[in-house]
Amino acid sequence: MLEIAGLSAWYGEARVLQNISLSVHAGEVVTLVGRNGAGKTTLLRSVMGLHRQVEGAVRFDGSALGHRSPDSRARAGLGWVPDDRGIYASLTVSENLLLPPVVHPEAWSLDRVYQAFPVLADRRNSMGTQLSGGEQQMLAIARVLRMGSRLLLLDEPSEGLAPVMVQRIGEIICDIKAAGVAVLLVEQNVKFAATVADRHYLLAQGQVVESLSNKSFQSRESELLTYLGI
Amino acid sequence: MSAFVQYTVQGLAAGGFYALAALGLAVIFGVLGVVNFSHGACYMLGAVAAAVLLDVLHVHFWVALAIVPVLLFLVGVLMERLLIRWLLRLDPLYNFLLTFGLSLILVDVVKRRYGVSGLPYERPAGMTGQVHLGGIGLPTYSVFVCLFSLLICGVVWVLLTKTRVGMIVRACTEDADRSRALGINVGRWVTPVFGFGIALAGLAGVMAAPFRAITADMGGNFVIILFAVVVIGGLGSILGAVAAGFLVGLVEAYGQAYAPTFAQVAIFVLMAGVVLFRPAGLFGRDETA
Amino acid sequence: MRSRKPAVLVAAAVCGCLALAGCGGGPSAAAGKFSDGKVVIGLLNDQSGVYKDVSGPNSKVAIQMAIDDYKAKYGAKAVAKTIEIVTADHQNKPDIANTKAQEMYDRQNADIILDVPTSSAALAVATVAKAKRKLFIDITAGTTALTGKSCNKYTYAWAYDTAMLAKGTGEAVVKNGGKSWSIVYPDYAFGQNMNKSFTEAVTGAGGTVQQSISTPFPNDNFATFITKAASTNPQVIGIMAAGGDLINFVKQYNQAGMQSKAQLAVGLMFITDIHSLGVDQFAGTSFTDPWYWNLDAQNKAWSDRFLAKTGTRPTFAHAGNYSAAMNYLEAVQAAGTDDADAVRKQLDGKKINDVFLRNGEVRSDHRVVHDVYLVKVKSKSQVTQPWDYEKIVATIPAADAFEPVSVDCKM
Repeated sequence: MLEIAGLSAWYGEARVLQNISLSVHAGEVVTLVGRNGAGKTTLLRSVMGLHRQVEGAVRFDGSALGHRSPDSRARAGLGWVPDDRGIYASLTVSENLLLPPVVHPEAWSLDRVYQAFPVLADRRNSMGTQLSGGEQQMLAIARVLRMGSRLLLLDEPSEGLAPVMVQRIGEIICDIKAAGVAVLLVEQNVKFAATVADRHYLLAQGQVVESLSNKSFQSRESELLTYLGI
Repeated sequence: MSAFVQYTVQGLAAGGFYALAALGLAVIFGVLGVVNFSHGACYMLGAVAAAVLLDVLHVHFWVALAIVPVLLFLVGVLMERLLIRWLLRLDPLYNFLLTFGLSLILVDVVKRRYGVSGLPYERPAGMTGQVHLGGIGLPTYSVFVCLFSLLICGVVWVLLTKTRVGMIVRACTEDADRSRALGINVGRWVTPVFGFGIALAGLAGVMAAPFRAITADMGGNFVIILFAVVVIGGLGSILGAVAAGFLVGLVEAYGQAYAPTFAQVAIFVLMAGVVLFRPAGLFGRDETA
Repeated sequence: MRSRKPAVLVAAAVCGCLALAGCGGGPSAAAGKFSDGKVVIGLLNDQSGVYKDVSGPNSKVAIQMAIDDYKAKYGAKAVAKTIEIVTADHQNKPDIANTKAQEMYDRQNADIILDVPTSSAALAVATVAKAKRKLFIDITAGTTALTGKSCNKYTYAWAYDTAMLAKGTGEAVVKNGGKSWSIVYPDYAFGQNMNKSFTEAVTGAGGTVQQSISTPFPNDNFATFITKAASTNPQVIGIMAAGGDLINFVKQYNQAGMQSKAQLAVGLMFITDIHSLGVDQFAGTSFTDPWYWNLDAQNKAWSDRFLAKTGTRPTFAHAGNYSAAMNYLEAVQAAGTDDADAVRKQLDGKKINDVFLRNGEVRSDHRVVHDVYLVKVKSKSQVTQPWDYEKIVATIPAADAFEPVSVDCKM
């Protein structure tokens, strides 16, 4: 579904991603694990077209994304869930949900969103940023589901959330996967990554250093924890 | 007491101009990230257009109030398509300098064509007298300016909060890049939004025509105050621009009435205070739409 | 990018506050009885700003008319064979006026500088004229200091001053019953000078000034000041602002319904002000005018020539520039040289009657006194042709119009 081949990215003169190649298949959850500054977020932003100093090929659903704008990538089926959640303070919860265009026939209806996330239904008329961190995270995910995105780019969804909320996010990711939607997940929480993902890519200094199945990932968890310095 | 009420109405009337024009400035700034220095020149164009329409085509004030914003919208569309658009990818300073240069050109063109001593404008019918509220006589036109600018701000408010277009504009004002990543074709909205912002400046210009000297330089001082308004209200905050517009109008009027030497300084002291203690402006971050 | 937005906007506001300097004027080639074989007249005024229409580029046309008339009058006997005009824009700033005046006298070999609106700029040029021992005839600036404590042998004031305006309007209005006054004046040299002159004139004539209110300059919102001025219920409100500020004030004065409550007296008004605001807004307003284009057949004939060349009627500044240039050339003719001291001796004490000056005399303090006119702005129905805005109420004879020779003036 998503194929990245030889992707490099720069901030001015500094090369922050080197020759990244990876793939995500339909209905698969794949994580990018690495320390802060390993280039995880830059990779997601490059895929989304928000970071423009890039070289290399990104193909989505068989077609090259090349220099397409972020909005056309979003309409092609990429769902952006940034690490700051990207909730609009000046829009209500329901407006936040309704803002993006519907891009796929299997997009969730507003009713389905509210069924799946009753808390959002309760607070539909509140301003977006009046929600708690976990609620905002749900809203950010629900927003791209209502859009009908086929591949979610999730940037650290568990960050700063209470354990019970992290668990709930994990369940949501499993539900998404069950619905046939693919997820590319950036995560520092190794335990959390191990509970939701099928495969993992280890990122260090802008390079993919290892590609692991979830099974071998779980067996090497303590080693990886040390490696990540967490 | 009666004088205080008069000063208040006068402050709100002056604030009405600031609010309308600042609203346009804030929307443009929010969606395009452009600090439009030519806003004062566009306000001037609005007033000059009203005067020329009246003189050449005998277009009445009330009609000009509808026509001129449309004309200025088209001016805005041309500016955006031919110039602004090409610099959007660069540092915002480039577009600031571009619009600064543009305003110098507009002012000089008007000077060359219409001179510097100003254009005549007849007072609109029915707007010459006074209205009496509880024994206090208030100039009808000042009252009209207050109410009409509030009405327009209200209409814009409804447009922004109740329509899909408004929702998109609010979203783009808050964060244009994020809106792109959510599938909004921001580029499509850039031209009409710029035109709309210019149209609001033009509308303020028409309202100023019966009230102020219509000269090529009339926007110079105005745009400086406008920037103070936008800074006080909060950058890219729509509600902030309107509230700060009226606030600055009041500060100016009370300042002129009670401490004339500090009237203009007061506005900038207020601005400096806001920048020091609330750098994002009074309505900067926690804006509630 | 978002994070830098506040900085950019604040920078924008700050940059905007800084005034811009421009450029103006061009160099010109520069060799007896005549310093360089020719007479060079320098016109230094506002070519692009608020006083552009009052005087500005059309004053060059007026000076050229004087040159043409001089050549026609003397023909082959004219001692000044070649006469040039050089112009520069001083943007109403004294520092620029100072630089431009030096440039005109030194590099462009100007024998005389004319016009120079804005009091501070005119005083700067007077200082240069004194140092360079070259002539300067001021027309459009109104400060009494030019012929008071800043007077010098080389500087003349040809048209008017603030004291004359105040005396004319202030005394006349008080005599007609307008005894109690509120004065609104812009807070800079001209405004302060006018406020002082008017206060003296009004109280001298037996009236009272209830309050003098200063306003920022420039300013576009006078509503509060008008309310304040009206708060003591004066019979007369005197406004000392000029140009765009005057128009702002009068529009808002009328908007506030003040015409029926107090009489409006304007300190300094140019016919272009009436033209730009529309005669209706000023109808009935009193002011003192040094010259009016439609006063009589002589003025009208000259104004018709001016109209044919420029497409507009002349202000008193245009006629003043013509008169100053013409009398300067006559003095050169009489002296047979363009040497400043020789020409000055021809001008001093001269009695003049021309299109601009009636019963004119160049006084010992170099103030040119002449008949001036108390006028009222016509109502729309009284206007019979374009620019026909003024009704002459009274002619104030030269001897009464101006203050006596100042004791401060020591040449």
